[in-house]
Amino acid sequence: MPKRKDIKKVLMIGSGPIVIGQGCEFDYSGSQACKALREEGYFTILVNSNPATIMTDPGLADVTYIEPLTVESLTKIIAKERPDAILPTLGGQTGLNLAFFLMKQGILKKYGVESIGAPVSAISCAEDRELFKKAMLEIGVDVPKSGIATSLAQGIKIGLGIGFPLILRPAYCLGGSGGATAYNKEELEKFLEKGLETSPVHQVLVEQSVLGWKEIEFEVMRDCADNVIMITSMENVDPMGVHTGDSIVVAPAQTLTAEEYNNFVNLSKRIIRRVGITGGGANIQFGQNPDNGHIVIIEVNPRLSRSSALASKATGFPIARVATKLAVGLTLPEVMNQITGKTTSFFEPTVDYCVFKICRFTFEKFPRAERVINTSMKAVGEAMSIGRNFKEALQKGIRSIEISRFGFGADGKDKITDQMLAQPSNGLLKSIKDKIRIPNDERLFYIRYALKAGVSIDEIYELSKIDRWFIDNMKQLVEFEDRVKEFRNKNIDCELRIPIPLLREAKADGFSDRQLAFMLNSKEEKVRQLGKDHAIKPVYKLVDTCAGEFSAKQPYFYSTQETQEEARPSNNKKVVILGGGPNRIGQGIEFDYCCCHASYALKEEGVESIMVNCNPETVSTDYDTSDRLYFEPLTLEDILNIIELEKPIGVIVQFGGQTPLNLAVSLRKSGVSILGTTADSIDIAEDRKRFQEMLHKLNLLQPANGTAFTFEEAKEVAKRIGYPVLVRPSYVLGGRAMEIVYEETLLERFIKEAAEVSGEHPVLIDKFLEDAIEVDVDLIGDGESFVIGGIMEHIEEAGIHSGDSAMALPTFSLSPAVLKQVRESTYKMAKELNVVGLMNVQYAIKDELVYVLEVNPRASRTVPFVSKAIGVPLAKLATKAMLGKKLKELGVTEEIIPKHVAVKESVFPFNRFPGVDIILGPEMKSTGEVMGIDEDFGRAYIKSQLAAGQRVPVKGNVFISVRDKDKRAVVFIAKKLQDMGFSIYASSGTAAALENNNIKVKVLPKIAEGRPNVLDLMKDGLIQMVINTPSGRIPREDEVKIRSHVVLYNVPYTTTISAAQATVNGIEMLIKKDLGVKSLQEYHRPAKKQKKKVKKGSLCQNFRKSKL
Amino acid sequence: MKAILMLEDGKGFSGEAISAGPEKIGEVVFNTAVVGYQEMLTTPANAGKILVFTYPLIGNYGCAPKFNESHAVWPCGLVIKEKSRIVSNWQATQSLDDFIKEHNLSTITKVDTRTLAVHLRQKSQIHMLGIISTSCFDAKELVAKIKDSRKVPQPSFLPGISVKKITTLKTSKPKAKKIAVLDLGVTKSILRQLEALGFFVTLLPYGTGTADIVRLKPLGLVISDGPEEDPGLQEVVQNIKPLIGVLPVLAISTGHQVLARALGGQVSRMHLGHRGVNYPVRDPLSWKGEITVQNHGHVVEAYSLQKIKEVKITARNSNDQTIEEIESRRLKFIGVQYYPASPGFDEVHPAFIRFANMINRSI
Repeated sequence: MPKRKDIKKVLMIGSGPIVIGQGCEFDYSGSQACKALREEGYFTILVNSNPATIMTDPGLADVTYIEPLTVESLTKIIAKERPDAILPTLGGQTGLNLAFFLMKQGILKKYGVESIGAPVSAISCAEDRELFKKAMLEIGVDVPKSGIATSLAQGIKIGLGIGFPLILRPAYCLGGSGGATAYNKEELEKFLEKGLETSPVHQVLVEQSVLGWKEIEFEVMRDCADNVIMITSMENVDPMGVHTGDSIVVAPAQTLTAEEYNNFVNLSKRIIRRVGITGGGANIQFGQNPDNGHIVIIEVNPRLSRSSALASKATGFPIARVATKLAVGLTLPEVMNQITGKTTSFFEPTVDYCVFKICRFTFEKFPRAERVINTSMKAVGEAMSIGRNFKEALQKGIRSIEISRFGFGADGKDKITDQMLAQPSNGLLKSIKDKIRIPNDERLFYIRYALKAGVSIDEIYELSKIDRWFIDNMKQLVEFEDRVKEFRNKNIDCELRIPIPLLREAKADGFSDRQLAFMLNSKEEKVRQLGKDHAIKPVYKLVDTCAGEFSAKQPYFYSTQETQEEARPSNNKKVVILGGGPNRIGQGIEFDYCCCHASYALKEEGVESIMVNCNPETVSTDYDTSDRLYFEPLTLEDILNIIELEKPIGVIVQFGGQTPLNLAVSLRKSGVSILGTTADSIDIAEDRKRFQEMLHKLNLLQPANGTAFTFEEAKEVAKRIGYPVLVRPSYVLGGRAMEIVYEETLLERFIKEAAEVSGEHPVLIDKFLEDAIEVDVDLIGDGESFVIGGIMEHIEEAGIHSGDSAMALPTFSLSPAVLKQVRESTYKMAKELNVVGLMNVQYAIKDELVYVLEVNPRASRTVPFVSKAIGVPLAKLATKAMLGKKLKELGVTEEIIPKHVAVKESVFPFNRFPGVDIILGPEMKSTGEVMGIDEDFGRAYIKSQLAAGQRVPVKGNVFISVRDKDKRAVVFIAKKLQDMGFSIYASSGTAAALENNNIKVKVLPKIAEGRPNVLDLMKDGLIQMVINTPSGRIPREDEVKIRSHVVLYNVPYTTTISAAQATVNGIEMLIKKDLGVKSLQEYHRPAKKQKKKVKKGSLCQNFRKSKL
Repeated sequence: MKAILMLEDGKGFSGEAISAGPEKIGEVVFNTAVVGYQEMLTTPANAGKILVFTYPLIGNYGCAPKFNESHAVWPCGLVIKEKSRIVSNWQATQSLDDFIKEHNLSTITKVDTRTLAVHLRQKSQIHMLGIISTSCFDAKELVAKIKDSRKVPQPSFLPGISVKKITTLKTSKPKAKKIAVLDLGVTKSILRQLEALGFFVTLLPYGTGTADIVRLKPLGLVISDGPEEDPGLQEVVQNIKPLIGVLPVLAISTGHQVLARALGGQVSRMHLGHRGVNYPVRDPLSWKGEITVQNHGHVVEAYSLQKIKEVKITARNSNDQTIEEIESRRLKFIGVQYYPASPGFDEVHPAFIRFANMINRSI
């Protein structure tokens, strides 16, 4: 049916900041949707608070709003833009929930906006647990026994009726947050309480546990003519009990019979019809009893999801694009399949390979969190690998998640060695089995240990309920190790003796050169050379949606060991872009954004773009982002293979974060040419000694520092430069194992931690500049001329990781003299390093002196933020500079200082890690970011807080408890709050300081000493904001409790004085005047593009001073 | 054990055999379905083929008698990438390995089936024969053997596939309506669907004459699926010609081609054929279609039906526009080129329901 003509303007809601459970997959789906809508000629309005997305690039939508994703701001946008329809199914749970609330509050009706893709009735049917259950039973689909609880007492009654174990799922929550398994009454009570809090509608589903059942997923699409197609089946290797977002997943399902498969298809069709999706896709999750095949439905997502992104990348079928076209009334037969170029989207993709998805966790960032995985998602990223068998895909998958492992063990990094496993003690066996029984992020490796120790497949199955087929495949790899080890060298310098057919077989099962070198007691280069000598190299096969039945126009590639090369490289001038791999804390969507821009720039310059990445959630792994895409792990071996085949003129390593940058030197050594800033300059910036020499030469300041390998050395350094000191390992991103140490007694522990992470490199020790202001600078250069992209002032003081700190562009409190110094220093260093491309510098400013903290000759995480704030695509221009264009030709001649203010705020995953303290420090903990943009700092800051999910109050009660050091500063804040009509509650110490300054305070008892205490008040909703600064590295028990309850009850909070000041200032603005909405296009309209060279005072510029 | 699959055009694929056996020659065809290996191996329509599965991991869920579509294995060879070492499904009673051995199926594993499939797609020759051997690895000699086999006329598979005598299947439903199924290689899943609609079925040998069929007084006739371009089919065409317009007819896959020929239409070989579970078909006048299971290498030529007034084309393949369904209300027949598989849970494919309605109208 032709597309709808009654709709002209469509509003799309993005998913906001990257959080656990809602990653960059929605940038992928949203971008595809924007493109699809515009292709069909619809006027597209996009709202998203996340600046680090491709979808918010001006040009993707007709109008782009970077505004908080709240009902209030959406209402304003709807009133202003008057869209005919809203497309809520591509922005994750956030987008869907917002649309739902807009409907509930009558806003859609008031402005005549229709929900397309999934009608509101479909959303309710899938999301409202009770309606869903009723609907499923109506069409003969079994559901686990369950009941809906809206109160604690009700939940307990239902739970006891069903019997333990029980699964608890709060309604309308993304990524299963708040979900838990209860084995007894105490746990039931505990989790119910939490779940009721977490659910925005205060509903918890109490459900019969289907722990250990097979978890099968189907991606289904339906159009308005009632055509239904299956995109793919997926089977979770980790059975029910582990959130599918945390599970290892394979596609297609491996252990279903044809009859079972058909039955699942039949159910999926019934379900998507009953739920009532009339133009879009759904993800359906089933549980299946492995002993009798009994199927129950777990849930339906009536929208694009993480799984649909995976299904899309696994099969080549662009689900988001097609879903969007279906939403505007087209049918599947009318939408072309762009991969084949000759068939339509009305077909079901089929594959001739095995797809493996594995998750990236960051438990190391949250040492107090329990290292187990369950029904509440904890993974921060994922990687996808493709192989011709499960074994190959498994090994490539493990390499892809960049946990310094090079396959399924046998790479010299196994915690439990083969010697220990040859005759394992009972204690060891027990601990291995425990690690298999209780799901955790290392379970795969423990299965290997168990197999090595002779534990049977059946026993491992009983412990884990992981299907025997998967375990047997793992066992085949373990057995293969023994075959290889027969040819182990005594001496590392000996020639390799492994027979060539065996080597070929090893490669076909996905063994890396690193693993083989370890098993054979040789070197990676030697194994590689041997393979080369015997023509053992991978060929590249296609992801073509059809298992080879049709020739493919726009396929992508994966490596495998087969007989015929299908990639057929062109003779064009081409460049390889190395992507960032799986998302993790410290390296996320910002870098994918940059990689995509590199690709766009190459296209514009007529150079063939070749992307290498393994992250299925990203835009960079979309089939049409680059000319060619290789879905491969980002290790030296895998990259070199691609480079040898493609023979590019160069490789871009600047944009994928630390992953490709770490490979720069090895790539250079292998003769690969690195585009942009040279590998030598990269080394100067990364090598501490050379860096110091450069600073001396340029006469720039650096905090006093030293390096150490041992505690003794560290003590010496610290004594010399004086406490407090900042301790950190070399070569890491995101401040891993970074600590501020105030006294010698604590030094030893942190040195040990840092040394572990640092490996063979020394631990770095810097003088810590207390209360300094941090500044981030992004710069673009062509080797001769350099232009600053943006200077950002951090809100939080030095000592908090720059990735976690809020920051503002333009700066708001720096003196012209300091700014002058910052600019001069930046240009000096850029010149010295001959920066071609991007560079990021971090400074600390103390007593008007500018200290250089760090220089990164690569794209930083702030590049998308700066680009959106100043309206210039820095990464794209930097790519062109790398290709030899001059900045002048590109029209980049001077620093743009915008009239408006943009504030970047970070978003944290604390709600996923119960018990973890929420204070900020030098180790990065945030998963995502939002941007607040407005005419002045106060509003921009408040918008950033709202966008980050803080429910900033304009009245009510504020609880204040700060460390002694902050007591002076907090007086001003409290005074202001009181003036604005807030009531102040405080702990006794803080109260005394406030009372001395004539502020009315209600003193609350210490938690252990009396009630009602602050926890009780928070629970009763009587505290609208908490200001709490940590007393020290080892916090007091009360503080931790207060802070964890703040997360539990979602009370707005700040843990630094500077953030508290900014918040209070923002509240002041908010009370004076309601917030408005303004699109990026309006901010950057060329006619108004007047560059200011000298910044005029923003309303808040004085707040740093007011601190004193 | 080392083995080779040699194609007639001289392209060879090495692999491993499960056991030594006589050399087998047959048409090499690939199927893109991910599951259903046992069903495909026991489908009589695949008689004489060398069957290639493009999905690389085969045998994972084992085999069980309930999944047999007939009493035997029909292809002359099987080509796969990786055979599962263990079986993992609660219903499995046997491994694929044992199943293959039990049925003496020539099987070659560890073959680069992707390259093979792409080669078959790009082949210059439409009817590509191949040979599986574990004893001879000389390309020339193997190709010569294939060429020689072409000189010998192919015997009909139908006598081996079809029931030997008119057989009435037992029914649990007392008031079931009687229909006849002309057995060119009918599968159990077709029979199950007919029974589910309340029919009781009489199976007819493929050569059953017109008069014998009429004498049975069935309410309708199903012409089943079976091997294409079989020399025995000519006789079937002649036998059913007089029945058109007399009995309601449902003709399935090869049966559909037989029906078209009886109507005066022409059947020709396709370049690649349709073998898989993901083929879209729809009425050109409607946006609504259906994803179907298909397993055929021949197709009814659309132009040949144009001159036959009574025939209405009710569905075409969305990819290549070939004919998927024909129907005549007046002459009471439905022909489906696709395979009307059950949609799951023993439900019945809509083609059978339409046929049942046609019978009800004609009673």
